[in-house]
Amino acid sequence: MSRFFATGSDSDSDSSSEEEQIIRQPTAAFTFSDEEEDTKRVVRSAKEKRYEEITNLIKQIRNYKKIKDMSSLLSSYEDLMRAYTKALPVITKEENGITPRFYLRCLVEVEDFVTEVWEDRDGRKNMSKNNSKSLTSLRQKMRKYIKDFEEEMTKFRASPDQPDEDEEEEKDESDDSSDDEDSHPVVTKKPSVEPVSEPKKVAAEGGDDGDDDSETDWGSDSDTSSESSDDENQYTSVRERFLKKAVDKDDEDKEKPPGPKKAPKRVPKKKPKEEDSDDDGGKWETVKGGVAIPSEKPKMFAKDAEINVDLVVKKLIEIVAARGKKRTDRREQIELLHELLLASEHHNLGHAVAIKIKYSIVSSIFDYNPKVSDAMKPEYWAKLLEQIIDMMDRMIAAKNVIMNESILEDNEQYETAPYKLRGCVLTIVERLDEEFIKLLKECDPHSNEYVQRLKDEKRVVDIIDKVQTYLEKQEDIDADLCRIYMRKIEHLYYKFDPTVLQQKQGKLEPGTQTSVQVMDRLCKFVYDKDQTDRLRTRAILSHVYHHALHDNWFQARDLILMSHLQEAIQHSDPPTQILYNRTMAHLGLCAFRHANIKDAHNCLVDLMMTGKMKELLAQGLLPTRQNDRTKEQEKVEKQRQMPFHMHINLELLECVYMVSAMLIEIPYMAEHEFDARRRMISKTFYQQLRSSERQSLLGPPESMREHVVAASKAMRNGNWKACNKFIINEKMNAKVWDLFYQADEVRSMLTKLIREEALRTYLFTYSHVYDSISMATLAETFELEPSVVHSIISKMIINEELMASLDDPTHTVVMHRSEPSRLQSLALQLTDKVNSLVDYNERVFETKQGFFNRGGNQGNFRDRQNYDRRGQDWGRQRREREQRAY
Amino acid sequence: MAKFDLTFKLGQYLDRHLVFPLLEFLSAKQIYNENELLQAKLDILSKTNMIDYAIDIRKQLMPGEEDPDDLKNRRAQVVNQLQELSKEVSLIVSLMNDEKIMKKIETMRDSKALLTFLHDEYDFNIEMMESMYNLAKYRYECGNYSNATGFLYFYINVMPSNDKNYLNVLWGKLASEILVQNWDAALDDLNKLREFIDTNQFPSSLHVLQQRTWLIHWSLFVFFNHAKGRDLIIEMFLYRPHYLNAIQTMCPHILRYLATAVIINRTRRTALKDLVKVIQQESYTYRDPITEFIEHLYVNFDFDGARQKLHECQTVLFNDFFLIACLDEFVENARLMIFETFCRIHQCISIGMLAEKLNMTPEEAECWIVHLIRNARLDAKIDSKLGHVVMGTQPVSPYQQLVEKIDSLSVRSEALQSLIERKLKARAQDVGGIQW
Repeated sequence: MSRFFATGSDSDSDSSSEEEQIIRQPTAAFTFSDEEEDTKRVVRSAKEKRYEEITNLIKQIRNYKKIKDMSSLLSSYEDLMRAYTKALPVITKEENGITPRFYLRCLVEVEDFVTEVWEDRDGRKNMSKNNSKSLTSLRQKMRKYIKDFEEEMTKFRASPDQPDEDEEEEKDESDDSSDDEDSHPVVTKKPSVEPVSEPKKVAAEGGDDGDDDSETDWGSDSDTSSESSDDENQYTSVRERFLKKAVDKDDEDKEKPPGPKKAPKRVPKKKPKEEDSDDDGGKWETVKGGVAIPSEKPKMFAKDAEINVDLVVKKLIEIVAARGKKRTDRREQIELLHELLLASEHHNLGHAVAIKIKYSIVSSIFDYNPKVSDAMKPEYWAKLLEQIIDMMDRMIAAKNVIMNESILEDNEQYETAPYKLRGCVLTIVERLDEEFIKLLKECDPHSNEYVQRLKDEKRVVDIIDKVQTYLEKQEDIDADLCRIYMRKIEHLYYKFDPTVLQQKQGKLEPGTQTSVQVMDRLCKFVYDKDQTDRLRTRAILSHVYHHALHDNWFQARDLILMSHLQEAIQHSDPPTQILYNRTMAHLGLCAFRHANIKDAHNCLVDLMMTGKMKELLAQGLLPTRQNDRTKEQEKVEKQRQMPFHMHINLELLECVYMVSAMLIEIPYMAEHEFDARRRMISKTFYQQLRSSERQSLLGPPESMREHVVAASKAMRNGNWKACNKFIINEKMNAKVWDLFYQADEVRSMLTKLIREEALRTYLFTYSHVYDSISMATLAETFELEPSVVHSIISKMIINEELMASLDDPTHTVVMHRSEPSRLQSLALQLTDKVNSLVDYNERVFETKQGFFNRGGNQGNFRDRQNYDRRGQDWGRQRREREQRAY
Repeated sequence: MAKFDLTFKLGQYLDRHLVFPLLEFLSAKQIYNENELLQAKLDILSKTNMIDYAIDIRKQLMPGEEDPDDLKNRRAQVVNQLQELSKEVSLIVSLMNDEKIMKKIETMRDSKALLTFLHDEYDFNIEMMESMYNLAKYRYECGNYSNATGFLYFYINVMPSNDKNYLNVLWGKLASEILVQNWDAALDDLNKLREFIDTNQFPSSLHVLQQRTWLIHWSLFVFFNHAKGRDLIIEMFLYRPHYLNAIQTMCPHILRYLATAVIINRTRRTALKDLVKVIQQESYTYRDPITEFIEHLYVNFDFDGARQKLHECQTVLFNDFFLIACLDEFVENARLMIFETFCRIHQCISIGMLAEKLNMTPEEAECWIVHLIRNARLDAKIDSKLGHVVMGTQPVSPYQQLVEKIDSLSVRSEALQSLIERKLKARAQDVGGIQW
């Protein structure tokens, strides 16, 4: 503890990072090292165990070297020496007493390092007291210890990168080492036991221990031994090569969890484990990829082995077999596969093998990410795209390669013409697509990153196209084609293609294909061939969405009505329901653009009524009041969210809904002002109106809702100009209307509708104060064509909404006074109620009995039926589903 | 006038033989080039066995040319085959020629009993029916329709309805009856066929749709020629959802015939509302002057537009094979409809304007209105000084409203009560012993 405080007062305490805390615990390592050994003793052979111990220590030493932690370095070094002594009997037995190469390398490295640090006087001065003390003692110990290995070390320095020869040995080692979670396979491979030219007796045997102890007492000298300085020259000559290696290895070390001796208990806050695990792997991967391949390449196959298809395939199976096992290093797998690919290409083993290897690479990249719910790393993503594109190019180019899930492993055919491979490109693409969406969802939609990611969509779509061309060439795989078409549809349906509208106006030359035609073709195929129903449902919805997006109102409407999806949609899975909601939203917008206000209202009312529009469209989670969502629920919901570029503007939707509601509700309210049975058509709109009426003081409207409410109030008074001004002004343009593709048309349509509905409202509201109204005046006030006014009034008269008739010679509307007295109106209300009572009775009887022919006068309930929810309005138009051909 | 001609569209859903009347009609109207029509006829004939007819047309089309040999050869072939087929079924033919037996057959309703009867009495063999079916088909192909009807009638009577040829036989029977213009029988066959299509299972819904579409087209022949057809067409096209669906999806052009049928049918004014809805729904896929007329009149209340369309309608009707017969009726009724709607909206109309809207001279119009008033179909007075028609409309008084509303209440309640009572009684009888 006292040490802690001592160092705490040190000068560099300010910058105390996690690393530095390690520095302050130099000695404790001893006590734990033994325990560690105890726990490990169980399984391994003596050689393995010793070697592993040494390797671990070497790794630690490298780590410390990197952070220049002298005290820890010293303690590790001492550990190393002790471990080596322990290992000596084994070494003498197994390796004929030759010092293992990796040990030598470490020694050389440490020596170089120490000299380097020692030389750097400025650096030494800045060191903490603790560190410099350790450095001195380390240097002394080094000098003494190294003497025993002098000759071997010199030889090592002369040829530090001598390749390994024994392939068998090497493979064994790597297999063994993969058992150990902590040790890195690559690392263990390198220090493979490599006899250095001539066998030599290891000098220091028993005496080593004693030396260690005594060395601690040695005073710190300033003199440098001659031999080390001699070495210096030699060292620099090979330094280039060395450095490369060193970096390489250090990287690997970094990625490993901290040495078993240091990590546990003692300093729980030291190095957080996750820092070192897979996450780091990604960061360091690329560096390694470049360097490791040449050095590893030779050990793929035995040198003299003839590399042929069988061998490669065998190797491939071997590599792939490790897939999914707990201890498999996934990055390593990718590397191995890459190498295998290189080898196979080198020996011209043909497309089939290459494709198969590519396929494995792709799947191992997919495997790389351990959690399915998390997105991939961008680097891996880029790599994945490349690989898949490459694979597809090869497959399309090869022409006679058949990849199919139904081909068994045993029946794979690599060598002769109709190559047969087991695998499924389709699943790869599907997975790719999902990953892509995940990636997008990960990004902040307003950042540049998102845009960058989104650019990849083109490549994803390209891949899908490629798979499609590939699959189209295969035979008898309608189900697969359906799936790939569906993928394509999903990338297509929400995109607006301006050429469609141009084509509609005849501006495009005939024969050009727009996205609507493409959708048509794809969807019809799916309708025809799909067996699962789910794909068909999704195809229909996407098709409708696409039609609605491009103003093909009738087609969209017919399709949705014929599909009968409205009845069954609540039984489908949530993503389909979301798609349905999105489709309905766009159908509503489309109806609105076509001035079919009632349909627009009907389409949107379900979305708006709940007030959970955001959730229904999967464009964001609603904040919940009392955490009634569990973690899992939230996770699931988050997975369902739409990526940002597919969102539908909520304000636009709401505004369209509110305006539609206004255009329907205000005349209705005026008509039924004194009606006892008046019902609300749109609850949401009603609430807005009420709440604004309750306010004692009203400012000028700010938000979109306030605008609509203000407009509604103006319309109630028949003031269409004010109403129009509230609906169409700059604020609303910027907020809402400009979002439409043909905004001007929408605006002019709106103005016309506002005029017409305002006229109706005016007539309802003020008819009782008139005896007759001139139609010309009306036309003038509402700036409508006289014929339109005539038509509107005629309609009202025919529908018995307006008690009046036209006087043709004078062009006036003559009102028929039939204002009931109080008593009369009460009596009328009473009859209404009695009527509904009888109705109710009949209905009760009907439900009990099952049938009852109703001869009652239904006419009375006309207006109610007109407005009965969309179930009826739409239901009446429903058609049979028999039109599958559509 | 070719713009509104539907022959091409209709032809797709008709039998070859049924197209001939349409083509004949067209050549009479001289809308198209005569030679083109002849060529079309020839093309159609090439797949039938009506060789003589084909030779005739060839002569018309290419006067002076010799008849090609293959036609002659085919003629001989056809005659041969016909004889062969006739031989095979000679027994049945002899049966059919025996009136006594036929009467007996007609009295036997059940096909099974009939079969056993025939089998026992006259060495009848079920395989014979197959060749008879072939013969009937052959006769039909040769244009000998009445003969074919006889055979097919026998077939329908004898064979059970689950026979594999049954549907084909029904279709053949209908076509033959139409072609021999035996409308009563055709209507019977039509109903049978419809029942068969509606009740039987088909391999796919697409199949059913196709059958229905055919039936709709073939039925036009019957409906516009049979006396009862005008009610039935509305019944079948508008109020049978399956057929309305078929029209909407496969053949919206049928709406022309439906609309005409509704317009000329004065007693079915209620159907108008439903028709308007359908027309509005399909307005984007199909429109012609007749549907537009209805749209103008009942959706937009644009009387000028309606008048114009009425004018166009006349030419369309005049050139339509099915509708030409009801041209006058159509115009009369359309006028009446315009007028009725007009009266419902207006309380005072000047005769001059009305005449203009109805495509009449003022004198004619006045005369027409007087007729209407005299026939008590219009509550109005003519103010001849100003040239106005003043409607006798009366605003509905609250009393009247009240009475209207409660009018049916007692009846309904009574009906309900009696129903409940009956039910109670029934239950008491059913479970009485156990429960009480």
